[in-house]
Amino acid sequence: MWRLKDILLNLVGTKCLNCGHVFYPPKAACPKCSSRNVKKVSLGTSGKVITYTVVNVPIEGFESMSPLIIALVDTGGGKVLTQLTNVKPDEVYVGMEVEATVRRSATTLDGYVPYIIKFKPKERYS
Amino acid sequence: MSKVYVVGVGMSNVGRFYERSLRDLAAEALFKAIDDSGNLTPEYVVVSNMLSSQAEQENLASLIADYCGLRGSSGFKVEAACGSGGAAVLVGYSLVASGLAKVVAVVGVEKLSERTTPEVARGLAYAADADFELPYGISFSGLNALVMRYYMMKYNVKREEMSAWPVLMHENGYYNPYAHLRMRITVDDVIKSPVIADPIRLLDSCPISDGAAAVILTSEELARKYNDTPVLIAGIGNALDSTDISSRYELDTFLASKLSAERAFKLAKLSPKDVDVAELHDAYSINGVVTLEDVGFAPKGMGAKLVAEGRFRIGDKPVINPSGGLKSRGHPVGATGVYQVCEVVMQLRGDFPGVKVGGEVGLTQNIGGVGSNITTIILRR
Ligand SMILES: [Zn+2]
Repeated sequence: MWRLKDILLNLVGTKCLNCGHVFYPPKAACPKCSSRNVKKVSLGTSGKVITYTVVNVPIEGFESMSPLIIALVDTGGGKVLTQLTNVKPDEVYVGMEVEATVRRSATTLDGYVPYIIKFKPKERYS
Repeated sequence: MSKVYVVGVGMSNVGRFYERSLRDLAAEALFKAIDDSGNLTPEYVVVSNMLSSQAEQENLASLIADYCGLRGSSGFKVEAACGSGGAAVLVGYSLVASGLAKVVAVVGVEKLSERTTPEVARGLAYAADADFELPYGISFSGLNALVMRYYMMKYNVKREEMSAWPVLMHENGYYNPYAHLRMRITVDDVIKSPVIADPIRLLDSCPISDGAAAVILTSEELARKYNDTPVLIAGIGNALDSTDISSRYELDTFLASKLSAERAFKLAKLSPKDVDVAELHDAYSINGVVTLEDVGFAPKGMGAKLVAEGRFRIGDKPVINPSGGLKSRGHPVGATGVYQVCEVVMQLRGDFPGVKVGGEVGLTQNIGGVGSNITTIILRR
């Protein structure tokens, strides 16, 4: 997990310099045109929920965080699979505006406590 | 390239067998398949499995070949997550087609009943992206739930319409003596069953099962000599998509389902309308529905609606999942793709002991990950 801290804490995707396709997670070559001429790009820190689920049956290691709200968020740059926080399961909806925040994830099976980006409902200042 | 025939099939029952070992299940299937073939001796034992490491056992080809009296034969394990079985049949096919071997046994086996549900759920999630999905705690059900919600919203599919899939699976599986869950269910049962990963409910989900299945593959020359009912592997194709779902082009289409089916149909010189019977990989209702469309049996967005209207049951063409599919027959993970081939071969030979379809052309499609590694096989009598 340590080797991933920059990517998981900064939402870095890849942009293809040949065809312009932007995607997340980062890859060594473009899935559309196979070009290796790609560069890391920041995906932005806010977006909209495209689809989501509430996981009631957790995988090993995530029992204490259940139920988990997992969403696919469109940041405009690329789609990101993430966890939603600061929101109740029945308050989530498709199209909801969310923004990135740093939170701790479940302790890994080898005892490491990773911090990762989750998304929370976008605060409105009116 | 030599033509490749299936001349022997063998299956153990699918279920939870606390008293049986992995090698014991594999031996039952392999011996049945060898006996069914007219007693051909495999030169290769190709094993398919996903999660034997959870039972601290790898190196399965040596283990199973030696346990079954085939010390000195050749072999190895093939792994493609839940799609291991189909991939292993493709490897076995290649060995015979290339002329490297004349007789190949493909043995799919999975034995998970000693593990807890969270352990198995974590193991299955290893088919997803370990660096970019696992840290969020997403389960395999959760990933498929993301697809299901998206699909239902995009095509305005009602919960009742999605529920027709598992109801049909249990209607078929009720008659399959090998099946894990042999009971009939109603749309109401599905809608009232507990939520696993919203909108996926318990009765949208396959059971995780123990089981083993085996096929004997051979060349045309030996097939005619030893067997009265050889079934031709007329086409076979595999395709890959991303392990992650974030970078998918479309959430409601499995690209690898479409591409692997196109490759298999091209090799067989056939098309979806020629298929009499198919076994699709419905780990969840949504997978059955989406691949029904991607293989070419239903227009996009219409899969669930057509099943709800009564299509794809006995008497229709094609009949889908007369075994009961993963939902009712069960999902012995790395063995599932081999079960599908056994079932369709038996359908074409006319000796499947459950819902009987008959026909001349059959298809199997086996999925690894959330549509990321898919093998499609076309069988012809
Ligand atoms: Zn490109």
